[in-house]
Amino acid sequence: MPGIDECLLEAMRLPGARGAALIDWMSGLALGVVGESPGGDQETAAVEAAEIARLAAEQHAFAPAADPDDGAAADADPPVEDLIVSNRDSYHVLRFVGASFDGSVFLHLWLARAEGNLALARIRLGEMAERLVLA
Amino acid sequence: MTAVRTAEPPRLPVRSKTAAGERGWGGVSPMLTRLAAERATGVLVRERGTLHLADGLVVHAESPSAPGLDTLLTAHGTLPPEAWQRALTEADDGRGVARHLVDGGHLTPGALELCHLTAVYDAAYFALAPSSTPGRFRYGTAHRLGPIRPVPVAALEHETLRRRDLLHRIWPDPGTDEAPLIRADPVAAPALTRRQQTVLDRVNGVRTAPDIARELGRLAFHTLVDVRRLMAAGVVSPLPRPAHPKPTEPRRAEPRRARGEPPPVPVPVPVPTGLVELPPDPHTTLLKRLRDALEAL
Repeated sequence: MPGIDECLLEAMRLPGARGAALIDWMSGLALGVVGESPGGDQETAAVEAAEIARLAAEQHAFAPAADPDDGAAADADPPVEDLIVSNRDSYHVLRFVGASFDGSVFLHLWLARAEGNLALARIRLGEMAERLVLA
Repeated sequence: MTAVRTAEPPRLPVRSKTAAGERGWGGVSPMLTRLAAERATGVLVRERGTLHLADGLVVHAESPSAPGLDTLLTAHGTLPPEAWQRALTEADDGRGVARHLVDGGHLTPGALELCHLTAVYDAAYFALAPSSTPGRFRYGTAHRLGPIRPVPVAALEHETLRRRDLLHRIWPDPGTDEAPLIRADPVAAPALTRRQQTVLDRVNGVRTAPDIARELGRLAFHTLVDVRRLMAAGVVSPLPRPAHPKPTEPRRAEPRRARGEPPPVPVPVPVPTGLVELPPDPHTTLLKRLRDALEAL
């Protein structure tokens, strides 16, 4: 049963991990940061990641389709599971943490592209996000 | 077909650390800065909330404007209310409420830290709001919640200032932060997010933004963000009062009652009968809002 720091340190053990943060996308506040911050400044990195997370979380187009048998899918909160941004030298994986309370929180993992394994990181980050809040 | 566009909210601000330094002191409350420097333990009571310090670090914050940790944890079924009560009574052994909740298997440390940390920043936003009376500090023991994830005073003040900027950038009039809200009649209703729709559903001319936050078990600051965005979209507005100050004038801080009490239900002042029976012309409303926004710039 990890706390915030244990969760971020676990994310940092993934191959190629350069930095990890837990960020609130409504306010842009970093609740925890481990390792390097993309761009060098922790606060700017958190705010910029929060911007893109908020956009993804709020657009109706990215929400899952309503399940005819069960309305739960359409009401899923957050509607988006994760976001992947890639560039020439790195990957950014943003994983939304399930809202068991008024959470607008996501994990942000920054991976070096040469060493990182995107598929593995995505799966592990999903597990970490779940373990962080589920008893 | 005309595509309906959602008003794009402004970008989240990044607060320049140098700008804060240039103002002489970077803090919001010089008293708090001094308490942090002397590593004080006790309770700082300010007009709109209290901060609990242990060794100069903020371990807990409460405000009548922000829902408490218990509300946030129990409103969404994260924690059964009985578990909270039991932890409160058992915490008399000095181990702290937090320890009991985690040891009892009700919450993961992660969920507790997350919820508590966001609740501290949330309440501190109000506690550190400009006040008309000086704060009082009572030296004493740390909060019975027990240590969870203490926050340095400087980080809390920095974030509070950044949050003020954030709200100001969305809509520069703080009128919607405390006043009862009413629905406005937009010319072209924008597409709302589900979060915003839930907030809008509770707007009834009596509830204020903090009331709505408490009812929904949401963070108060996050609800202020939603409400200011709704205001910017022209969907809600504060209930006009007879002697309503102009939006550009600094609002008179109203002393809040003892914490724990629900915020006062505004006496339905000679209610804008005209508003209820005869909705104002949407175009006039739009022009007024434009004027207010320009004045507030």
